[in-house]
Amino acid sequence: MKLLFANLFVLFVLVSCSSDEPKPIKLNSDACDFCKMTISNGKFGAELITEKGRFYKFDDVTCMVQFAKSNTVVAYKYYYVSDYSKDNTLIIAEQSFFLKGGAISSPMRGNTIAFSTKKEALAFQQKFNAELKTWKEIYSSY
Amino acid sequence: MKSSWIIFFNIIFFQTLVANTIHVGSNYPVKSIKKAISIAKAGDTIIVNKGTYREGNIVIDKKIVFLGKNLPILDGQDKNEVLSVKADSVVVKGFKLINSGHAALEDPCGIKVYNKTFVRIYDNVLDNNFFGIYLQNCNNCIVKGNTIVAYGKAEQLIGNGIHCWKSDNLQIIANTISGHRDGIYFEFVTNSVIWRNISTNNIRYGLHFMFSNDDSYITNVFKNNGAGVAVMFSKKVKMFNNYFEENWGDSAYGLLLKEIADSYIFNNKFVKNTSGIYMEGTTRIKVEKNEFVSNGWGMKIQASCMDNEIVNNNYLKNTFDISTNGSLVLNTFNSNYWDKYEGYDLDKNGVGDVPYHPLSLFAVLTETNASTILLYRSFMITLLDKSEKVLPSITPDNFIDKTPLMKSLPL
Repeated sequence: MKLLFANLFVLFVLVSCSSDEPKPIKLNSDACDFCKMTISNGKFGAELITEKGRFYKFDDVTCMVQFAKSNTVVAYKYYYVSDYSKDNTLIIAEQSFFLKGGAISSPMRGNTIAFSTKKEALAFQQKFNAELKTWKEIYSSY
Repeated sequence: MKSSWIIFFNIIFFQTLVANTIHVGSNYPVKSIKKAISIAKAGDTIIVNKGTYREGNIVIDKKIVFLGKNLPILDGQDKNEVLSVKADSVVVKGFKLINSGHAALEDPCGIKVYNKTFVRIYDNVLDNNFFGIYLQNCNNCIVKGNTIVAYGKAEQLIGNGIHCWKSDNLQIIANTISGHRDGIYFEFVTNSVIWRNISTNNIRYGLHFMFSNDDSYITNVFKNNGAGVAVMFSKKVKMFNNYFEENWGDSAYGLLLKEIADSYIFNNKFVKNTSGIYMEGTTRIKVEKNEFVSNGWGMKIQASCMDNEIVNNNYLKNTFDISTNGSLVLNTFNSNYWDKYEGYDLDKNGVGDVPYHPLSLFAVLTETNASTILLYRSFMITLLDKSEKVLPSITPDNFIDKTPLMKSLPL
């Protein structure tokens, strides 16, 4: 019985280690892992999770893409980006709709923002006079 | 007879050229600032008397002198940009601008100048605005003697104290800034000077440079800001006589240099910071006659830095004087004073006879494995450190100061 509990405990610990959920970005406290700047705007942030479960936080989608491309050794599991229409909320990059350029002005001048629905993206597209992009296009543009 | 006619016409003609002064106040015929601006002509002076004016967004679209008497209050009532300057050569002096409101998508400001030249902003008090003073695409402007206060909290979005974007020839002088995101923020600003400002208790940086070349900041105090001062992606920046104090935290630095080239850091004081200077990707920087006192790390020089010269500095009471993350050394250290130097000077020329290795074994260990800090000051570590000094194995052996000074420089 004791052994079972011990096993369960070990299992529990192991399970709790590998989380697919992104860690929330602590504004004005966490620093960008690429450009070292303190992250202060939750609308432009991004987060990367590796296969081993390490988290990297970024203040701009550009920083995440450049960081990912500069390191080809570690395998990445998830790319997260901030939802522009919400406050400091991370969504999965592959399923997001992106706007780039126009009047958008992000901390590292990547000038890219993300939305969880196409409808929201289109609504803001007019306002910013920006281009609608997919994650693949964003990733390959750096 | 003919000459008297000329005099007469001259009098009439010049009469129309004389600038008028329009008083605004409860005791004057003109009660509203917007009314005064609408009746003013270019070159006129508007004097606003003491009182509180809640007129929404005030736009100055004429070349006028806009003066406040006894600090009249312009209130944005939490929903407006308080003052917008949309004319050249406007002077704004002696106002108290409050409550610009907070917005995530627009950037409401206390004072915003739109694409103009020769605008002067003197001696104003800005309290509780989203952005304080915002110069957008402006040339030859002066911002002097303003007091800018906001009440930003850690997890909150707030603008910068003095925000300058895509400008040239600016002078930012003697302002006091606190509680904003960045005290002073420069982006695409060239040929400008930041002089005698005090930037304290801002949430992120006291001063933040991005893509701004040929600027200098001289005799400023940056104290107790979230992460110190950041100078990034810029060239030819001169940093003289500044104080970088008490910037504590995991990602806080007295001065963060990232991708900087051809700059000169002279006669600054770095006191009680987690890291005095953090350098990454910097080239051809001269660090001369600075004082590093009571920092966790005096300087952190990443291996991506090259051709930097570190000369004649004082390193006093730092836990680690220097730290680096690689074995590549492309920078030179000469004639600095290190209080940890234990060499001797037999020929009494003031220069130590044995070279000094500023990079301690333990600094290298903690860089690769942060938790080894637990063993700091233990007997074994001290022993290893001593043996490493004699026979360098882990630390790069060319990481040395060949002419360490015996006495600290009087800085």
